Amino acid sequence: MVSNDVVIAVKGLNKWYADFQALKEIDLDVMKGEQIVICGPSGSGKSTLIRCINRLESFQEGSIRVEGVADQNDLLTLRRTVGMVFQQFNLFPHLTVLRNCTLALTRARGLEKAAAEDVALSLLDRVRIREQALKYPGQLSGGQQQRVAIARALCMSPKAMLFDEPTSSLDPEMIKEVLDVMADLASDGMTMICVTHEMGFARRVADRVIFMDQGRIVEAAKPDIFFEAPRNARTRAFLHQIL
Amino acid sequence: MSFFDIFRGILEGMDVTLTVTFMGLCFAIPFGLVAGILQHFLKGASRASVTMIIEFWRSTPVLVLMFMFYYSLPTVGIYLSATLVAASTLGLHVGAYGSQSVRAALQALDRGQVEAGFALGLRRPAILWTIELPQMVRAMLPTFVNQLIQLVKGTSLVALITMSDMTHRAKEISQLTFDPPAIYSALLLAYFILLYPITIFGRWLERKVGQGSGKLMEDHGRGV
Repeated sequence: MVSNDVVIAVKGLNKWYADFQALKEIDLDVMKGEQIVICGPSGSGKSTLIRCINRLESFQEGSIRVEGVADQNDLLTLRRTVGMVFQQFNLFPHLTVLRNCTLALTRARGLEKAAAEDVALSLLDRVRIREQALKYPGQLSGGQQQRVAIARALCMSPKAMLFDEPTSSLDPEMIKEVLDVMADLASDGMTMICVTHEMGFARRVADRVIFMDQGRIVEAAKPDIFFEAPRNARTRAFLHQIL
Repeated sequence: MSFFDIFRGILEGMDVTLTVTFMGLCFAIPFGLVAGILQHFLKGASRASVTMIIEFWRSTPVLVLMFMFYYSLPTVGIYLSATLVAASTLGLHVGAYGSQSVRAALQALDRGQVEAGFALGLRRPAILWTIELPQMVRAMLPTFVNQLIQLVKGTSLVALITMSDMTHRAKEISQLTFDPPAIYSALLLAYFILLYPITIFGRWLERKVGQGSGKLMEDHGRGV
């Protein structure tokens, strides 16, 4: 259910790595409950864009507001408002699945251990991996690890979730279990931005599909229009290559 | 003097050897950790000054440092006990080497984990304390045991600044009875008996850490 409340507002975003301009004049409003899929060739700036949203990357021009938090100095609030899932999972290998999930709850939110574990277990349940709670990440399959990573991010009750190619380092047979969890989240109304090449997922779940190339948003449309009648020639060429 | 008498005489120096070792660790561990972490995080001039301090302790012979502190400082009115001189010079020397393992272990950690910590809204010190340090300590344990062995062996130098450690005892005994083969074999045996269990422990630790389940460090993680 997409509402009219803007959760993430990106305006006039420009980012450079030295001389190379990675993002050019990005404008993007993400509504509450909206699911956005970003695709595009490698080096087009998709990951950089979502990494700018929680300030894992800095930027030189423009503004990004998340739930009204625009102050770049209030990084902790901002980062606790959006959850992020990485391509490489980035679980903490020395901690159990459960502790991976409770770490930020106890450390950043100040919850008691028992309360944090309750939250974590319910979210591990939601990604259907509760029975693995006492294992270490190294003992899990890639798909399981990524589901733990999703649960870990959800523990902080984020207002929006960012997915940075969450299935790109998974074996094919594990991609579905992760996409299913993401689709569940979407149907529960989670606001999501997802960088992915899973076009089936985009078609099924996205409210809007965005195509980026050379640091620009080239095309943004509802999936049926995006896939059936893309306006831009570069979008057509890209889709032709991957579909 | 029988071999057994000689050996017993040498063991009388064990308490000095152990005291210097333990006090040395009190210098080595904090110095190695702090210097390594600072070198990893600082930039520019402050990093260069940390590096200079590390290199001072790493690139000078311990024996010369001991002489310097024990015999030269009194000429400017600073009197340090032999134990303190021995423990600090040996400890800082070993700690300087250790700091490089600390830095290497931090650098070897996947950057993605730090980012995941940031993305969860953790502060930088919390990331260092709960994510990086436990894994670093784990990666470093085998090196740490090696450094400990170096430290124990290094204590034999304290004989030269008048401390009555095992090596010093051996020299004293050799003045009473001229029997170098027996005396120095007994001394070697004494060090071996002290060090061999540590190497065994180190190997056990390495295996335990190598198993990768992370059980060992989870306890650390819990503790913080």
